[in-house]
Amino acid sequence: MSSEEILTGVRRIIGEMCPLGARDVAPADRIMEDLGYDSMAVVELALVLEAEFALEPIDEEQAIDLVTVEDVAELVGRMVSARA
Amino acid sequence: MTVLEELPDITESPDAKPSGNLPTSKDLYYRWERQQWSVAALDLTKDQETWGTLRAFYRTELLNALTELEVGEVTVVETLSSLVDKAPTDDDRIYLSTQLADEGRHVRFFQTYLREAAGISGEGLADSADYTNHFAPELRRVTGAVWAKGDRDSWYEALVYYHLVTEGVLAATALRTTRQLAKRLPLPALVEGLTNVTRDESRHVAFGMIAARDGVAAGYAEPVRRAYLHGLELGARVLVGPLRKQAVPAVKTALVFRAAQLRGGFEIARDRAVRQLAHIGLPDAVADAAEVWDTALERALDAYEEHWNTPHPVRAAGSLKESA
Ligand SMILES: [Fe+2]
Ligand SMILES: [Fe+2]
Repeated sequence: MSSEEILTGVRRIIGEMCPLGARDVAPADRIMEDLGYDSMAVVELALVLEAEFALEPIDEEQAIDLVTVEDVAELVGRMVSARA
Repeated sequence: MTVLEELPDITESPDAKPSGNLPTSKDLYYRWERQQWSVAALDLTKDQETWGTLRAFYRTELLNALTELEVGEVTVVETLSSLVDKAPTDDDRIYLSTQLADEGRHVRFFQTYLREAAGISGEGLADSADYTNHFAPELRRVTGAVWAKGDRDSWYEALVYYHLVTEGVLAATALRTTRQLAKRLPLPALVEGLTNVTRDESRHVAFGMIAARDGVAAGYAEPVRRAYLHGLELGARVLVGPLRKQAVPAVKTALVFRAAQLRGGFEIARDRAVRQLAHIGLPDAVADAAEVWDTALERALDAYEEHWNTPHPVRAAGSLKESA
């Protein structure tokens, strides 16, 4: 799966699940500040991404700040390639 | 009147003197007359659409919470009668008979809501509930002992398990966290029903505190204290819920959020458990209560890990921080 495909999939899911109502989201949109996700919604999002991309925990995640849509896509990409 | 604010007021008003601001059981009777509501008047169809679109995480969260509340209500309906019958005063007995009606209404509310809004039958719900497995048997034992022995020690013990732990700690916490969740989804009929239940429960907890305070003052401090500490030990276990599988997100940021949410619920309960003691005249039991609570919570997290063969999210997130 290319990083382009991952970004497209992540954008679609984040947009569909947006607590402010389904919408198109941009890579630079901030999940919590711009898109209205709170901590419960972030957990729900993570579980949906996990199921969609068959994600498993990776060790080096701790340093990452998940702020924008792009950050999430990048993390998902790393988790997908760690799995491969 | 905003109700969620009313519940904490009972125990959290910083200026409340231990024997000061609490109402009498007669006051609570009249409050009950003014605060009637009806299950049949709630429009549960308002929530059906949201239930249809809920994803697994919220759905599981809500169903777990509503199940624990429903089985708790069923258990309290079944066990209140000995407390009514052997109440210390006539005013207490008259107040308690209003509470029996409330608890019946709560069962109707949760069962009707689960069936009509969530599309879930109440059958078999109790079997896997942590309250059923860890607390209900003890509540049945102590309320049964009120019939069998008929003495005041037994009455005060049962009161503590019933009003102070089941209602004052467990139900108050579950109502608060579930109502917050219902508000944000949104599930307006559930918010309305839980608001009504919370208003009723705040009267029940107020009664528990005045009755326990009077008991402590009348020489029953020892049974009250003993029951309280043992009740908290069981209560902490119910709250963690070793039998309830929790999602452990693979994304660590989400895992940390999840742990913080769960820990938030534990803290609301612990705070209430500790604060009630000042109101009933047992401030010197605070340190013991906190220790019993914390130990029981850790043991319940151990039990979760043993049962599911994987750490509870609170533990999983904790080890993350330690290794960072
Ligand atoms: Fe109730
Ligand atoms: Fe109650």
